[in-house]
Amino acid sequence: MGALLKSEWRKLIYARAHWGLLIAGILLAGLSTAVTPVIFDNPDTGFGLSLDQTQSVDAVYANAISAYFFAIIIGIMLMSGEFRHGTAVATFLTAPKRGTVLATKLVIAAIGGMLVMVISTAAGLAGGWIALSFFPDAASPTNEVFINTMLAAVVSGAVLGIIGVALGTLVRNQMLAITGALLYLFVIDPILLALAPDTGKYLPQGLIAAMLALDIQAPEFGIDTTAYLPPLTATVVLLGYGAVFAGLAIATSLRRDIE
Amino acid sequence: MAAIAISGLVKTYGKQNAVDNLTANIAKGRITGFLGPNGAGKSTTLRCLVGLSAPTSGTALIYDKRYRDLDNPLSQVGTVLDSRGFHPALTGKQNLRVVAAAAGIPDSRVDEVLEMVELKDAAGKRMKNYSLGMKQRLALAGAILGDPEILILDEPANGLDPAGIAWLRKFLRKLAEGGRTILVSSHQLAEMQNTVDDVLIINKGKLIASGSMKEVVGDGSLEDAFLALTGGEL
Ligand SMILES: Nc1ncnc2c1ncn2[C@@H]1O[C@H](COP(=O)(O)OP(=O)(O)OP(=O)(O)O)[C@@H](O)[C@H]1O
Ligand SMILES: [Mg+2]
Repeated sequence: MGALLKSEWRKLIYARAHWGLLIAGILLAGLSTAVTPVIFDNPDTGFGLSLDQTQSVDAVYANAISAYFFAIIIGIMLMSGEFRHGTAVATFLTAPKRGTVLATKLVIAAIGGMLVMVISTAAGLAGGWIALSFFPDAASPTNEVFINTMLAAVVSGAVLGIIGVALGTLVRNQMLAITGALLYLFVIDPILLALAPDTGKYLPQGLIAAMLALDIQAPEFGIDTTAYLPPLTATVVLLGYGAVFAGLAIATSLRRDIE
Repeated sequence: MAAIAISGLVKTYGKQNAVDNLTANIAKGRITGFLGPNGAGKSTTLRCLVGLSAPTSGTALIYDKRYRDLDNPLSQVGTVLDSRGFHPALTGKQNLRVVAAAAGIPDSRVDEVLEMVELKDAAGKRMKNYSLGMKQRLALAGAILGDPEILILDEPANGLDPAGIAWLRKFLRKLAEGGRTILVSSHQLAEMQNTVDDVLIINKGKLIASGSMKEVVGDGSLEDAFLALTGGEL
């Protein structure tokens, strides 16, 4: 499995598209924390929050995690890219045991997702720090917010990378997998969440929100995260989804002929 | 002794039998030409042999094992298929390094095979910018990466210019001199007549002729024998 890990790692770092995703993630996270203080500072847009409150400043920093979708995309690209470019042929000729290949890919996607999240989140924290330095009256953040945000970045990056691979195995069409994941996470899931909050909190978006709120109380975002699952439980349930997807993939998609 | 044993192989797509109860043995240490009209089932047979397609029934074994049960397949079998399996955004060298890593082959071997297929100068070029012939050479480089005893080549001459075809002929001969077993499909019958020891001809998924070149062709040309056997025009 060591040889396979090395091979999958090379697939991760050789492809320029993956570096593009990392840069996009850095920009997105940096921008979103940089812009949040401006929004909070304006009484018309601040939802009644102001920068002299510690929780508002914490909320600015918690925003550093906003590039999480890129972790899913990395996972999807690692797997469905094999079918899109036909590299699955070389991959499975070299390592015909498909389950082993999938397991390796899950590990590398977890690492890749984690790296994207850790780096982009660090950029986000830096962006927030720079932006807040323009507001001399801003309160000081709590000490925990930095640790908790980085922790959430590590965990969510790994879990979402895994889910991406599972999705990419089931839906071999890369564009369809990415668009589907986007649509589901940012349109369908929020609607379900609003219509049926009790079951909604078990759906991916509710779980991600709960997981990202690892010890970060953020009801000021207009979502009542207190009703969500505890972060650890949410992580486990989300990993459960990943396991079900991966299991389904092994049982169905990975059995199919490789063109 | 047979290096490759195909036995009662059937592969069905919908109602069509792409491969229809094919039984054949490929002798060790010889070059076998795998011939048949378009759609005869050659590529499908080869895909079943290397485990990319699952046979509907029957078996295709390499040294009595299914491909997926081989310990380190690349060190035993090198394969070129009609779909090449390389990433367009990666350079030729990067593509081979990905494969080499998975098979536990050192990177120095990548440089070696790139030189052998005369792609050294294009090694740093992204694969999508390769010409058809360069892609084919890269695929051949991938097939010999693990220095395998058996080569399975689906139309390796595809896209090569006359100089490239002459190069491929020499390349295959050199590989065969080392005692390798080569199973090669092609439509270049004149070329095959000069290169291969044995022939295996299929049509509509069924075996129609097999044996040494002499047995199948007699005194005529391979083309005449092929057209007569497959009911093509003479
Ligand atoms: N994935 C598939 N789905 C459906 N039919 C297929 C598939 N792959 C091959 N076939 C069919 O199986 C038959 C055999 O195809 P195959 O590619 O094996 O032929 P071939 O001998 O390699 O032909 P060629 O000389 O043109 O490469 C054809 O009729 C083809 O249409
Ligand atoms: Mg073919």
